[in-house]
Amino acid sequence: MLDYILRRLALMVLTLFGVSVAIFLLLRIVPGNIADILFDSAGMIDPAEKQQITKDLGLDLPLVEQYARWIGGLAHGDLGYSYVSEKPVLDEILPRIPITARLAGLALLFAVCTGVPFGVISAVRQNSWLDYILRVFSLLFLSMPSFWLGLLVLMAFVNWFGILPIYDKAPPTWGAFALMLGVPAATVGLRSSALIMRLTRSSMLEVLRQDYVRTARSKGLSEGAVTFVHALRNAVLPVITTIGIETAFLFGGLIVTETVFNIPGVARFLVEAIRWRDYPMVQNLVMFIAVIVVMVNLIVDIAYMFVDPRIRLRA
Amino acid sequence: MMRSRLWLAVACLLATMGSAVAQKQGGTLRVTHRDNPPSASVLEEATISTLMPFMAVFNNLVVFDPATRENRLDRVVPDLATSWALTDDDRTLTFQLRDGVKWHDGKPFTSADVKCTFDMLSGKVASKMRKNPHKTWWFNVKDIATDGDDKVVFHLNDPQPSIMALFAAGFSPIYPCHVPAAEMRTHPIGTGPFKFVEFKQNESIKLVRNPDYWKPGRPYLDAIEYTIIPNRATMLLAMATGKFDLTFTSDLTPELMKSLQEQAPETQCVLQPTGTQGNLLVNRERPPFDNEQIRRAMVLSIDRKAFSDILSRGIFDVGGVDLPPPEGRWGWSKEFMETVPGYGADVEKSRDEGRRIMKSLGYGPDNMLPLKVSTRNIPDYRDAAVILIDHLKSVYIQAELEPLDSSVWYARLARKDFSVGMNIQGISIDDPDATFFENYLCGSERNYTSYCNADLEKKFHEQSQMKDLDARRKLVWDIDKTLQMDAARPVVFHAKAATCWWPRVHGINIAMNTIYNHWRFEDVWLDQ
Amino acid sequence: MSDAWYYARRYPLGVAGAIILIVFVLTALLANVVAPFDPLTTNARASLAPPSGTYWIGADMMGRDMLSRMIHGARISLAVALGATCIGSGLGAMLGLASGYLGGWFDLIVQRIAEIMQSLPLLVMALVITASLGPSLTNTIIAIAIPLIPNVARVIRANVLSLRELNYVEAARAVGMGQARIALRHVFPNTLAPLIVLATAQLGSTILTEASLSFLGLGVPEPYPSWGRMLSESAAEYIRSAPWLVIFPGLAISLVVFGANLFGDALRDILDPRQGD
Repeated sequence: MLDYILRRLALMVLTLFGVSVAIFLLLRIVPGNIADILFDSAGMIDPAEKQQITKDLGLDLPLVEQYARWIGGLAHGDLGYSYVSEKPVLDEILPRIPITARLAGLALLFAVCTGVPFGVISAVRQNSWLDYILRVFSLLFLSMPSFWLGLLVLMAFVNWFGILPIYDKAPPTWGAFALMLGVPAATVGLRSSALIMRLTRSSMLEVLRQDYVRTARSKGLSEGAVTFVHALRNAVLPVITTIGIETAFLFGGLIVTETVFNIPGVARFLVEAIRWRDYPMVQNLVMFIAVIVVMVNLIVDIAYMFVDPRIRLRA
Repeated sequence: MMRSRLWLAVACLLATMGSAVAQKQGGTLRVTHRDNPPSASVLEEATISTLMPFMAVFNNLVVFDPATRENRLDRVVPDLATSWALTDDDRTLTFQLRDGVKWHDGKPFTSADVKCTFDMLSGKVASKMRKNPHKTWWFNVKDIATDGDDKVVFHLNDPQPSIMALFAAGFSPIYPCHVPAAEMRTHPIGTGPFKFVEFKQNESIKLVRNPDYWKPGRPYLDAIEYTIIPNRATMLLAMATGKFDLTFTSDLTPELMKSLQEQAPETQCVLQPTGTQGNLLVNRERPPFDNEQIRRAMVLSIDRKAFSDILSRGIFDVGGVDLPPPEGRWGWSKEFMETVPGYGADVEKSRDEGRRIMKSLGYGPDNMLPLKVSTRNIPDYRDAAVILIDHLKSVYIQAELEPLDSSVWYARLARKDFSVGMNIQGISIDDPDATFFENYLCGSERNYTSYCNADLEKKFHEQSQMKDLDARRKLVWDIDKTLQMDAARPVVFHAKAATCWWPRVHGINIAMNTIYNHWRFEDVWLDQ
Repeated sequence: MSDAWYYARRYPLGVAGAIILIVFVLTALLANVVAPFDPLTTNARASLAPPSGTYWIGADMMGRDMLSRMIHGARISLAVALGATCIGSGLGAMLGLASGYLGGWFDLIVQRIAEIMQSLPLLVMALVITASLGPSLTNTIIAIAIPLIPNVARVIRANVLSLRELNYVEAARAVGMGQARIALRHVFPNTLAPLIVLATAQLGSTILTEASLSFLGLGVPEPYPSWGRMLSESAAEYIRSAPWLVIFPGLAISLVVFGANLFGDALRDILDPRQGD
């Protein structure tokens, strides 16, 4: 057990190292750097000034040295300075993380709270009209571009209620606050909800076919109790495993949703940073996301091992 | 026409009378912002994204009279300078500075600050600024001297009446000598009516009232808050639902303005030239575009009216380098424009001529000249380029769009690594000294097409020194005509866009010939 | 024929999906014939024209007929969906096959690389790749395909691992067949079903990724009429004054992706009933 966790941790470090090299190199392949971008607003480039900026930021150093500087700093907890704002990267990232985390958390909560029950209903009433309708709708939600959905939702709120649920630092009322959090979360979460519903349904169906459920039934437990107590516990397991994948997946939706609802979170910020070729910002943000994804996967796997002894044996 | 003028006069009168009695103190003005400003340093940027929010932190030596609706030389009034005088040879300009003005950090403002600002700007002293985009404006400044703490003397190479317009531009604020350039980019310090509080990347900018402002009783507002909303659909909805008081300047296309006013009829909008013009860049060094004939044919294919119709339902202006009247002071009159080749009403005739040229060079419907139109990968540029490509087809040119990331665009222009480009560029002062020298001087960094005409350059200097405005305008028209005929950088349209606000905002006075120079907000107040 | 009828009755949703896909592919192939106008010709007088007899679903800001642009846009979406899925699944399958069959160091390296790629958010990877390659149709396809590889590689590898120990593979080995031949002749065909299922499932998501990229200003550039581009920032601002610019491309994307998903679901049930969602 401990062995397994240690081995996973070692692999995790290896993966993160790989991610750091990958993002570092990818960024350097992207044409143009911050010096070019800085002149963008000036409508010209002054070669002497450009050279000076390049030198000041250490962009003229060999790649290996640039990489070593970054990782060396990272090891000491020094994330460097943003090229654009010239403030410490940490100061820029930290206030934005809770905003995105809250959105992502609420979206996942929404996804689980709607996806699991509907998945169960769909499975229990397999091949009924209800099942069909739920399946078609879940597929439909999976098929809509989330930014398009976001725009339509915004429009609907403005047209029907005269409210605009975009981000507001100090929302005037509790209702506005709830809407400001809830609407974007539901918009991003809808996709995940549909995915979770489909997963729950199929794993539930599999469980319902299995022997012990039949046994329980034959023992005379009521239908409802059987499904929920026995089946659900087993059916939810595969759903948990996907939450890790979901986190990485959710991120794409977060980028566009933060853009549409004007939420100043890390997701949109990352896209801006890529656009500005703000290397320290992009590198550290991507590392941060990778750490989250890897950690979530690890935690999910370990949690799974505790729940399902078969995996423990295999490990 | 007469009627509307009269109305305007009455409105102005009412506005002045109203403002004389009713201003209210207090309130936070909430403004939308279109994108993230590259930095907070006005001197280091040439974009309105930086200027509009941060102009209120600073003062200039002089300003365009904030009470009038036109930026012009004869309406320059005191700001940090209380008076100024020229010597008889028009080559020495002395400013008398205001007394008792303090920087936001409490240090006194002196003549040393002025000298140091313009030493940096004119490149006399190696500056600590990362870049200096308006260096060409100050080509005529020989040196700057202080005379005690309250006098500054500028020595000029040649007489230059327009230099006062440059001093009055929003891009020429006075910087404090004692604050390092890097700090000015993140936490600017000025003498202006508002103090900088914070600038959160991609999120917001906040300024608060400067209680020690030298102008008594100003400003009225307690604070100004900009929220950065890059998505225009979201911005429009936010403005329409009243979440904001004022839009970013010229952020609404004519179509969007219409849409906003349908949703919120109470909002007030001013539709005005944005100071940006679309122009065609042709690399005159790269074959086959080194052939003057081909360049001419390309110019003849352009239907400027179609650009205006498509991009703005006919609201964009057509003209040469300088902004056309009535808003512009230096652009061609309608009659003069008719005499410029390619500007005539009969586009088909021009295109026939273009086709004839191309045929004589061996091109035709079955042998189209292939080329790439490079442009920045942002909507305004792309839209214009798509129309250009459509027009080029009419003279047997088969063009393909090459959208370039903003990071690559100027680098490519600087390397002259393009054949044909669709460019949109901003001009912050309606004055030929700003337009000609910045963009058409041999070897200027913004002279992307490397157009170089020594005779014409002499005329640039000649017009710059002229005092008689009418005579100067004549010369400017001729220079502009030559530039268009040489296809130096054919101007396709002068863009217009709207700035809108809710009626609770008072005291906004927008000059009609610029978007750049009137964002000090010291007279603005909220009626809540 | 009776087979087809049997499946059609058992999977009505799958049939609906297939019909949507067929219409979509036909539209794309016959775009030149079906489209009433040239999708690139601008017309000042038709700028933002509302839906009418001439312009069935209106015209965009440049006065280009929306219907014609949507019809031609089907080509772009088809190219992106097919191109990215084929490249992504093809490379993924090859890597997965090799990695599962060969094992050892090769397997270890492929596994690590797959893990690294999966730790990066898909859209971020696509963003960085399009930014480095520059916006064009081919580059968009590549940028969308690359992030697909690891997932496919992992699924195929898992399949290969379970196949490797099966009797007939052992038998082939005993007879002295070459490794490569065994892999291609005996193992690969058995991974085809899950591969097809996986690829169909990804068809839809590639179209959605293209739309997101275009919304963020990357992706397939103008003047190509890509559906994603039509929805992008410049059109979205007209959502109130000219809603047809935003509603129809979004509907088209949703419908085609929906069709692909319906079809993919049915296909999975038929080909590989044991593979979960």
